[in-house]
Parts: sequence; structure tokens; C-alpha cells
Amino acid sequence: MTGDRRFGRLLLSPITLLYTLLLLAPISFFLLLSFYEYTAFEMYRPNLTTANYDRLLFDPYYRNIVYRTLRIAATTTAFSLLAGYPLAYFLARHAGAWRGVLLFLVIAPLMSGVIVRTYGWIVLLGSEGMVNNLLLFLRVVDKPVQMLNTEFAVILALVHILMPYMVFPLFSSLAGQDPNLVRAAGTLGAGRVRSFLEVTLPLSRPGIVMGSVLVFTLSAGAVVTPQLLGGKDMQMLGQTIYELILTVLNWPLASAVASILVVCQFSVIFLYFRGARRGATA
Amino acid sequence: MAASTGFGRVPRAARGAALHRRIGTIAGAMAVGLTYIFLLAPIIVVIFTSFNPTTASAFPPRGFSLRWYREFAASGSFTSAFQFSLWLGALAAVFATTIGFLTAYAARRFVVRRRELVQSLAMLPVMIPHILIGISLLVMLTVVELPELLTLLLGHVIVCVPFTVAGILASLEAVDPGVELAARTLGASRLRVMWEIVIPLIAPGLLSSLIFAFIISFGDVYIALFLSGPGMTTLPIEIFTYLQWESTPVVAAITSVQVLMIIALGLVIERLVGLRKIIRI
Repeated sequence: MTGDRRFGRLLLSPITLLYTLLLLAPISFFLLLSFYEYTAFEMYRPNLTTANYDRLLFDPYYRNIVYRTLRIAATTTAFSLLAGYPLAYFLARHAGAWRGVLLFLVIAPLMSGVIVRTYGWIVLLGSEGMVNNLLLFLRVVDKPVQMLNTEFAVILALVHILMPYMVFPLFSSLAGQDPNLVRAAGTLGAGRVRSFLEVTLPLSRPGIVMGSVLVFTLSAGAVVTPQLLGGKDMQMLGQTIYELILTVLNWPLASAVASILVVCQFSVIFLYFRGARRGATA
Repeated sequence: MAASTGFGRVPRAARGAALHRRIGTIAGAMAVGLTYIFLLAPIIVVIFTSFNPTTASAFPPRGFSLRWYREFAASGSFTSAFQFSLWLGALAAVFATTIGFLTAYAARRFVVRRRELVQSLAMLPVMIPHILIGISLLVMLTVVELPELLTLLLGHVIVCVPFTVAGILASLEAVDPGVELAARTLGASRLRVMWEIVIPLIAPGLLSSLIFAFIISFGDVYIALFLSGPGMTTLPIEIFTYLQWESTPVVAAITSVQVLMIIALGLVIERLVGLRKIIRI
């Protein structure tokens, strides 16, 4: 019915307007700024130039930040996967009657927001925090260890904050598997380890891919957590963009940094999904 | 289970296997337990710290006092930011749920050929780093004259919409299209079917989306980081700015209030439809 189609289009018009006018158009314009000239008084002047990219790619200061961001994002992704997989596996296979409660306990930190959890780590890792008190009590160290303002603190907190994004896709792909497959592998003589490695793990690949992409993307763009736990010396791309926008007021350069972030993220997403597809057909 | 497959295993090997399984299960349970401690410790520590009588954000606390809650109540900047976040979250939730419902309903009933495309496009804001959304809206304000408050609100609506669409789509799956068809056959208009049949049927789902969108808006940092201004600072931004200079347990008191509120709201969603329906992206 054409009336149905017209009605459907009418229902879709608010989201179309919202996304086009306030999401896609502003982002395109902002990324275009990276080719504009920077002037101190007008913020930007619409003369096309590659000066912003030249500055980013050849200045070791910015290159270091790019490397550090990629390193932190990759480490965070790896540790989230290592810690998230057993949890997702347990929730999908063994949680039983407690599954609802246990899932809620994973979602609850997610809902409480980034600031709350980052502050929790400030308290835990401070020189009078629980971690230091425990180390002193166990006589592992004899004076408090400097843990705030280190890369370790940033990675630890990012793993904590982003782990739910890893656990949910993993949980979905594990819970969606037919339990008979593992049982069949067992009947055919495969041990627990082998049936995990050859049946469960390959089948959960979509969840691994989705979770890793989400965690990588979100940690590469983080601002608040590295700013509060890493400080100035541990700057990541997100903080650089934040400073260039709000304090330095060099918007074209900020746009170039953001473009680099976007390019990194999309290449990770692309590589991951290509790898996933190849894995699925193999 | 595997031992009783009836293929006549050697008993000792079976015992060995059982022992192995036992060790494996215990190791697994310990790994899961440690992960839960890791996930929950920072939040529990914050709640304990909020009752700390001293200035240092130390844990374990030395004594019990409500000093920081009083300080929170007395500080104008934090309480007004809290109120502002409540209002902003409520408004953003209403808009995001409305748009989310219209989108989900259209995708469910009226889009036939490109349903998958519509659903994945609706998820777009989840895929884009939120910092980029916030900055782009700020930059847009230099070109288009839009009130800052409206821009902040619409920014929050954008980041909430994917969740409302996903949640409402899940609720709509349970609605029998035959009921709608019957009403249409009896002469009800499409609008009337939507308003008098579909909406009442998925009311719990709508309410859950409303609450979840509020939670997302309340916790947002990346939009408000760039669009907050005098008189319109959200709570997370107020805390972020404060924490860059000092960190007293007054932050613990504020975040404890926030965490309790959000857990209560989360439990309401859990009762209404189950949180899993909404989180499933």
C-alpha cells in the first residue's frame, strides 16, 4: 500500500532530520575544517591548505601522542578481552538462576557513568588508597607507590570502564550457540579444552570482533579518564582535541587531529570485519 | 555428563577427568569472582569514602560522618548542576523516546525492503566517537545561530536515540500484527491504531526506554564537555572540572547519590521489561 509507505516515511522524518542536520552535517563540516587555514582572530579561514596535516605528521610531539593513543587503546582492548571472555562464558553457560542478578551487576557500573568510575579509581589508586594500603600491609613495598598519573592507571580504569562493552557482544554470541554442538564434540571424544578451542571459540568470533571494535573505538577517543588519571604527561588524542578546541582555540588543527582519530578507528573497524569475514568463510 | 556417554571408559581415567573438571570449574569460578570484584570495587569504594570524616579521599575510611553530604547540600554549584542534569535528562528522554518509538514502529511495520538498513542507520551515534558529536555541534554554533541550551539538549537526544530505538524494537516484536490489522479492517486510521493499540500495548517498553535514555543523558560527558556554559553545566562536567584541581570526598557523596538513583532506576527497568532487552544493540 502506498499509504503505508507514505506513513512510514512520515514516521521516519524526525530521526532523518535529526541525524542529517545535527549529526552528519556538523561532523562533515568539522572534518572539512582540517583543510582550512588557521588564523588567531577568526578561528579559521576558508582557504584550502594541508598545513595542519603537515604539522601533525612531522611534529614528533603529535606523533608520540598518536602512538601512545594506539598503544593504550590496543592494550585496553586486549585486557578487556582476556578478562571479559571468562565472564561472558560463565554468564552464558553456567550462571543458571543467578544470571539475571549477575548481568545486572555488569550493567550497573555501565549506567553509573564515566565520571563515577574514574573517581573510584582516583580513590583506589591514590597514595592513601586501598591498593597502596594493601601493598604496605603485605610489606610488598615500604612506601606508597605512585600509581596516579601513569599509563598503568589509565589502562586499568579504561579496562574497567569499557569491559561491559566487551562482555555484552561476547555474551550474545556465546548464549546464541547451540549447546548440543559442545555435547556432540564431547561424544566424538574431544576433551573440554579441545571442544572449547575448536567449537566454542571460533563460533564466538562475531562477539570478539564486535566487542573489540567497540572497546578500541571508545578507548581511543577517551578524554575524561586519561585527563584525570594520566595527567598532562600521558596525553592521548582525545585530550589533545579537547585542548585545541577549548583552550588553544586552534580549530583547524583540532579537526586534523580528529580526522586522524577517525581514520585510525575506521581502519581498525575495516581490518577487523575483513578478518572476521575471512575467518567465517575459511 | 560427558563421562556417562556409555562408551565404556576406564574408571580411573574417568576419575582423573572428573578431578580435572573440578579444578577447571574452581579456577573458572575464581576468575569470574575476581572480575566481579574488579568491576564493583571502584563503586563500592566511592560509597564508603563518602562517609569518611577526613579530607583525604582515603580508603578504608577512618570513622563515620555525614560531613560530605552536608557539604554537597550546601554547595550551590553542585546542587544546581544536579538539578540541571535532572531536567536535561528528563527532556532528552522524552524527545529520544518519541523519536525512538516513531523510528522503531516505522521500521517494524512500514519499511519492508530496507528494514535492516534503517535499523543500522539508527545505531549510527553509537559507532561515532561521542567527542566528535560534541565538538561538531559546538563548531556548528559558529555558523548557525541556535540557542546553546537547545543544542545541548539535541546532542543528548542524538546519543540516547540508538538505545530507545533498540529497546522499543524489542518490545514491538511481542505485538501481534494481527491485532493492528483487525483494527485497520474495522476502519481505524493508522494514527488511531498507533495511538490506541500499539502504544498501550508496549507501555512498559516505552517507560523503560524513557528511564534508560534519562540514565544515558545523566551520565554523558562528551556532549556536555563542549556545550556546557554558565548556568547550564551538567553534573558530570561540574565534577570533572572540580576533580582537575582537587579531590575531596564531597565528590564521593555526590556520586553515591547518583549511583543509588541510577541503580534504583535500573531495577525499575529490570522489573518492567528486563535490562537485557535495551542493552542489546
